[in-house]
Amino acid sequence: MDNFRNKFIEEALEHLNDLEGTLLLLEQDPENKELIEKVFRSMHSLKGGGAMFGFELISEFTHNLENIYDLVRNGEMYISKDLLDVTLAAVDHLKNLIDDQKVELPQTQETHTKLLSKIDAILETKSALKITKDISKDKKNTETISSATTKTATYYILFQPNENIFDNGTNPLYLIDELYNLGQAIAIPHFNRLPEFDELIPTRCYTYWEVILSTSQPFNAISDVFIFVEDDCHIDIHKLSDYNLLENNEFYSFVQQAIDRKTDIGIDNLQTLASRINAAIMVKEKKTDERLAVSKENTISSIRVSSEKLDVLMNLVSELVTTQARLSLFSEHSNNNELIAIAENVQKLSRQLRDIAFSIVLIPIENLMTRFQRLVRDLSQELKKEVQFIAEGTETELDKTIIENLTDPLLHILRNSLDHGIEDPAIRVKHGKPRLGTIMLKAYYSGANVHIQISDDGAGIDTEKIRQKAISKGLITPDAVLSHKELLEFIFMPGFSTANNITEVSGRGVGMDVVRRKIADIRGEVEVESKLGFGTTTTIKLPLTLSIIDGLLVKIHDTFYIIPLSSVDKIYAAEHNKVVGTFNQLIVLDGQQIPFFYLRHEFELEENNAPMEQIIVVRYEDKRIGLVVDSVVGEYQAVLKPLGKYYKNQEIISGATILGDGTIALVIDTNKAIKYFARKYKVEEVK
Amino acid sequence: MSNNKQHKINSYLTFKLGEETFAANVSKVLNILEMTKVTKVPKAPPYMKGVINLRGAVLPLVDTRIKFEMTPTEFTPNTCILVLDININGESVHVGALVDSVQEVIELDDAQIMPPPSIGTRYKSEFIEGVAKIGDDFVMILDMDLIFSTDELSLLKESVSEEQEEQSSAQ
Repeated sequence: MDNFRNKFIEEALEHLNDLEGTLLLLEQDPENKELIEKVFRSMHSLKGGGAMFGFELISEFTHNLENIYDLVRNGEMYISKDLLDVTLAAVDHLKNLIDDQKVELPQTQETHTKLLSKIDAILETKSALKITKDISKDKKNTETISSATTKTATYYILFQPNENIFDNGTNPLYLIDELYNLGQAIAIPHFNRLPEFDELIPTRCYTYWEVILSTSQPFNAISDVFIFVEDDCHIDIHKLSDYNLLENNEFYSFVQQAIDRKTDIGIDNLQTLASRINAAIMVKEKKTDERLAVSKENTISSIRVSSEKLDVLMNLVSELVTTQARLSLFSEHSNNNELIAIAENVQKLSRQLRDIAFSIVLIPIENLMTRFQRLVRDLSQELKKEVQFIAEGTETELDKTIIENLTDPLLHILRNSLDHGIEDPAIRVKHGKPRLGTIMLKAYYSGANVHIQISDDGAGIDTEKIRQKAISKGLITPDAVLSHKELLEFIFMPGFSTANNITEVSGRGVGMDVVRRKIADIRGEVEVESKLGFGTTTTIKLPLTLSIIDGLLVKIHDTFYIIPLSSVDKIYAAEHNKVVGTFNQLIVLDGQQIPFFYLRHEFELEENNAPMEQIIVVRYEDKRIGLVVDSVVGEYQAVLKPLGKYYKNQEIISGATILGDGTIALVIDTNKAIKYFARKYKVEEVK
Repeated sequence: MSNNKQHKINSYLTFKLGEETFAANVSKVLNILEMTKVTKVPKAPPYMKGVINLRGAVLPLVDTRIKFEMTPTEFTPNTCILVLDININGESVHVGALVDSVQEVIELDDAQIMPPPSIGTRYKSEFIEGVAKIGDDFVMILDMDLIFSTDELSLLKESVSEEQEEQSSAQ
């Protein structure tokens, strides 16, 4: 039973998340029937599940909510901001109820009664609303039709009975009637086949019809009408549009004119007109479609798998890739052609398996959006600011562990943007900005990384204020010359951000230093760019996945190292005496001076006595830096293994991987390593 | 839980560091390995010897002698790696510990284990669970969890020197 209850809780949370997302969409588009229907459905499943698994309180509470949305659905009540506020609060409360089923916490108890009375109040106002409803009934009616037509398609039917159709007792008019029953239709009879009166035979049928039919029925339903007369007549059915064209004034008048002219309309004319109108309607509806598409995506057939199983699967695949590397190595030395062929096949298969397995644990950033939208909505209200939140590239996928660890830092950055970034509407107008502030979240792939950018068009960060703060804290001397970028770096210092709060905001636990640390935990980086008066952009760079990287395998002394390929720019060979014993640690490569680090020195190893050294030039921030190694082995797909708690203070090495022959290779985190080496040299210079 | 288990199993593995014999409860020792290829991790503290490949997993290796303020381990055919299951803040972490040689597994009743002496030893008493007399030798039973918990690693050194200072100042 507990098992079922857990499953219910899991599902209920999903329903609540769906519900929250739909409600936020509904706020943008309060008349959207499908969204209302979706809200109702989510509530209904929640209620049903709750009752089934003994969560009576949840069931009862949801029942009350459902009553409201039942009224909304029947057009007896409208979506208002107040209603959405109450519903969203109720959704939050329901989440609490799942944790605290017996309502033991006093604050839960309080919200419970409060919300119940609010819901009752809304239900009571219903009668009052009914009166207003009658007044606006006309408006309402047209809306119902137009939204109902979203699924209606328009067909052109040419129905030409053979002359002898009456012989077997068929009355064509009944068939036309049947078409009228399918939906909205206009039938245009044509009599131009009618012969001269002398030649007219009354038992023959000379009339034929053109019918324009708008129906929500499928195509088959139309052809079924003619199923018994198929052989006795000529029938042509064409789909003109996915919309109800009879509602379109242009189309309707065109048809009317054709009737007046008493000539055939003809399918060709109709199709040209229809495609033009279709395009116009499509543009208009595209926006709604996009919103609906999001909710439709959720219904793609899928199965639920516990994340533990996925973790096990990932581990097994990692093991397989490692073992396969061993097999490849062994087969190469074996001179056995059959074994080599098998090993190659295994390699191909395990690569495919790896790609699939990794794609399974990737989930789109979309999953986080509801929470962000909610935060922006609530906080902007609280702070009395007018803010729109735009998200782009939410289909970008990331490893689920990354997503899980990304939520809090992103929420914090958003909160910063809302609180410190976007100004009060009055101030914005005074500065010549639009009243409505914009916070934009952009996610996109960049090589083996995913970038997430949050930008606002708010006040920006005043680096002068940061400088003053840094001076007063004794971090820099008053005459220190620091670049814009260096000054911005201060906001990532522990204790600095909270002290530098330009305005106060309640309930902020973490500063930007925590954001950076949390992002660093998932091998990501955070950067801030800001222009005073124009806004701030925070960029988070993340690896696609935590468990595998494309790397360059190199050797220093007796140890193998992996340098992530994503940061490698170019590889050069250089004479030994050009890199060892130089005065300024600079080398000219391709006519450019490039600073470099001789890794043997950095790793406290004796100098290499080989005549040639390899310089791997890597990108570091916007610079190119050389790392000197003994030799380059080649490209390598590295399954990352953590070095573990015992090496948690290790900055240079981000992990290890096991090579085909069982040797361990260490993965160098180039950014951190260069930062570490550079810091060391700075300290030495000072000394 | 792990505490209970520890006291239920009365078997101890004895090993040597230099001339001194130590013992660890067998519940802490997962495996005993022969010396294998060690990959040194740059810029790590001296007692962190590197990492080894333990059946596809990366296992950190600690030079136990350095932790006990002895000279670094010199590899002999007797040198062994004890794979330990260390409890760090409730989390089970595996680590390899270099020892000069592994002796035997012995059974000890609680009655045979004496409380750690407060003086006359170089080591801070909290790292020692007790002392047992085997033949003519005294064996120090170590609290492996405490010794190999990361935060305690440096504490040992400090505590030794502090104790020495205390002793010398007392003298």
